[in-house]
Amino acid sequence: MNLYEIYFAGSLLLIAAGLYIIASKRHLVKIVIGLEVVTLGVNLAIASMGIRIMDGVIVMDALAQSMIAISIAVAAAIAALALSIALNIYRHYGTFDIRKLRRLRW
Amino acid sequence: MDPLAVILILVGAAIVTVILDPVFKRIRMIELSGVITCIALLSTLILLVLDAVVGAPPRMIIFGPDSPLTASLKLDMLSIYLSIIFSGLGLMAAIYSMKYMLFEVEHLPLDDLFWVKVRELGLDRYYALLLTLIAGMIGVTMANDFFTLYVFWELMAISSYSLVAFRKWSWEAVEAGFKYLIMSTLGSLAALLGIAVLYGLTGSLRFDAVRVAVFGGGNMAAAFSLVMILIGFGVTAAIVPFHSWLPDAHPAAPTPISAILSGVVIKTGIYAMLWSMFKIFGPVAYGFSPALIGLGILTMSFANIAAIMQTDIKRFLAYSSIANIGYIVTGMGLAAHILRTYPSEVGLAALALTGALLHVLNHALGKGLSFLSTGCYILRINSREIEKLEGIGPRMPATTASLGIGLLNLAGVPPLSGFWSKLLIVSAGLGVPSDGLMLAATIIFIVNCIMAAGYYLWLFQRLAFRRPMLDGGHKEVMEAPALMLTPLLVLAAACILVTIMLNPVLQLIQSALEVILR
Repeated sequence: MNLYEIYFAGSLLLIAAGLYIIASKRHLVKIVIGLEVVTLGVNLAIASMGIRIMDGVIVMDALAQSMIAISIAVAAAIAALALSIALNIYRHYGTFDIRKLRRLRW
Repeated sequence: MDPLAVILILVGAAIVTVILDPVFKRIRMIELSGVITCIALLSTLILLVLDAVVGAPPRMIIFGPDSPLTASLKLDMLSIYLSIIFSGLGLMAAIYSMKYMLFEVEHLPLDDLFWVKVRELGLDRYYALLLTLIAGMIGVTMANDFFTLYVFWELMAISSYSLVAFRKWSWEAVEAGFKYLIMSTLGSLAALLGIAVLYGLTGSLRFDAVRVAVFGGGNMAAAFSLVMILIGFGVTAAIVPFHSWLPDAHPAAPTPISAILSGVVIKTGIYAMLWSMFKIFGPVAYGFSPALIGLGILTMSFANIAAIMQTDIKRFLAYSSIANIGYIVTGMGLAAHILRTYPSEVGLAALALTGALLHVLNHALGKGLSFLSTGCYILRINSREIEKLEGIGPRMPATTASLGIGLLNLAGVPPLSGFWSKLLIVSAGLGVPSDGLMLAATIIFIVNCIMAAGYYLWLFQRLAFRRPMLDGGHKEVMEAPALMLTPLLVLAAACILVTIMLNPVLQLIQSALEVILR
């Protein structure tokens, strides 16, 4: 098994774990955490695709590195926005429980 | 014109409004931000229209050395055509916002004192977010590699999440914003995973390099990345299994933003799907056409049935947006099917794609017009229930007349251009009479169009001609203010103008299609 295959399998596991969190948890902040776990999985997938072996040394492609850096920045923006919306939901309902919301059905 | 110029104008204007916002607040002239927004969007629109009229050749700029790793932007007729639609509707929504948003943040009755205080902070960042939303959409059409496309995609997506949740004093907006954020981000991440696999396959993300590697046919990994990219962009385009955020998010946004979201933001999903399917992967090597036709049929049938049951006019219009996406996707699916099964009939496939692209314009005009007119009713009556709006027509004649033109355009009543786009798709679908799949799809398409025409006309009849159910009717209701009426009349004139000048528009679409099918 190649190194990148192991990493890619790991990234798929992370994505599955994140999707499980989003589907099963009832707490708004936990759903945001699940979203972040999925993002990490996708970043790891990009990293696994960027692995190159040059003269026996494992290096990472420059494009993959810049993609991951920008992707992390985008994910931070999304997490900040999601948490601010969650805070506003808390101000409306006094709870973070999505079962108490009126229309949030997937 | 440089492809970067448009994006720099819009993002620069967004930064200027953010910096000058405190000054405008101090001198109590918040409308000035709106004026800056309108000037930026108008100059963008003029630059783009000039390029379209001159017939500028395709261009490309590369940031840094010309290697497969650097980011680059392109400008061809397809991006010009779509960018004109995006910035045009954006300009109309910006003009409309200057009056409407003041009403939304100041005059709408509100019970809770805490939220009244929050609301008094005003239109912070509204125009900046509007500008970055349009800049992101235009950037998506101008990207020349998958990662630039992803970055502009997220710029557009983050702006639209915050705009949907903009009215944070209403529970509806924050809930819909959260739901939209989670679902749409998952979609973008699916697309990013597909892009990552594509990068692993080809070592580059530039469209030309990726096309060389995967166009002729590919392995399982290429097919996996195609499926992930289609799912990812399909969430934003609101294709039916991934549509459930749309009927919540679009009505919850402020009305001008609903017009932009429903009119053009979902079309960026269509553009990204069209580009990756026809230009990068190619319908010949990958047999996605039956799935695409099936999704299109499912989308329009489901949405048309759901739309009939709505009592909220904005929700009704949101469902009808999903149905129109179904028409466009069916048109693309028919084109892909023709290209794969009958390689000699390229003209027929071009006919279906012309219909799909013309419908992008028609739906943007018609849906923008309907949402903006709905905003005028909300301003005067403060209700979105169709029952309470019944019989308002004689009190607001100009608004209702423009709404009528928009609805007739959406319904596809013959002289208007909405009819021609549907006719193009139907005639392409009937081009090969022996093909059962195409015939069945076309018949379902026609049935859906007739059903949709029925409910649009029924809605118009209820609003314009029925006797009001309320006691005393709408006696005190006045016509909408002039600043809000102007965009309506311009859009209504544009509907008629596109119908009269159908030939130049079709020529523009032809040259856009040459980019895709070349």
